[in-house]
Amino acid sequence: MNMSDGEIRELCNRFFDAYQDRHVDELADIYAPDCIVWHNVFGRETTGTDNLAALPASYQGQRRRTYNDRIINTFDGGFVIQYTLHGVQHSGHQGALWICIVGLCKDGKITRIDEYMDSGKFPAWRGRGKSDAMEEKAR
Amino acid sequence: MTDTELRELCHRFFDAIERSDYDAVAQLYAPEFRMWVNLTDTESSAEENLAVLRDGARLHRRRTYDDRIIDTFERGFVVQYSVNVVTHSGARTSLCACVVAQCRNGRITRIDEYLDAGKFAPRADARTRSRGKSA
Repeated sequence: MNMSDGEIRELCNRFFDAYQDRHVDELADIYAPDCIVWHNVFGRETTGTDNLAALPASYQGQRRRTYNDRIINTFDGGFVIQYTLHGVQHSGHQGALWICIVGLCKDGKITRIDEYMDSGKFPAWRGRGKSDAMEEKAR
Repeated sequence: MTDTELRELCHRFFDAIERSDYDAVAQLYAPEFRMWVNLTDTESSAEENLAVLRDGARLHRRRTYDDRIIDTFERGFVVQYSVNVVTHSGARTSLCACVVAQCRNGRITRIDEYLDAGKFAPRADARTRSRGKSA
């Protein structure tokens, strides 16, 4: 059954709210059983199950993550969302990443996620840019 | 604009860049056009973007925009694609990118481009990605 614009937007926001609030069970309910997640940085596909399994360890990396400035456009069978990921590291450092996700949806679930971001921003996101540069200089 | 008109506009845009036809690219930009890139988090005008495209083309022997997966929404399109580049030295590199474009009256009013700077260096294992959906 085709999902309406409203249903797709609601699903998209449910997904990001669950990600932000670290509700892994909710995410498991949102992913279709055959969900695939692809990242431009790694250039490979993983299953939704693998993605969920990696989340607890991933969450330990930051004190807090918020998915802000969400711009959502829907199309037949999916959505594209542009957003800012704000993170607070355990050191207190605050960083941001600008990310775009194309999500495919069917029957109220997400069947595929393609995620685009710039890995060049990772040092600034983690707050290690300055120390990395100093280490590089010291070598 | 209809789904078909948006898809045509998207292909005209990438085809024009591929053949380095920057007059054609300029025709596709609305006067108020703005371009934003995630690498720099800055916006540029049509003139500034065209200058970047011209400068960028000189760096490569050939650049093709392949594997275009296009989805259209009410006022624009999202296209996921692979940029395949052959440098003057013959090295090949590939990166997967995504553009979200806003359109009006047959022209593009805004482009938001998402790239990974980590993929700019030539890679031996460069490969493309497809989700098996026709554009």
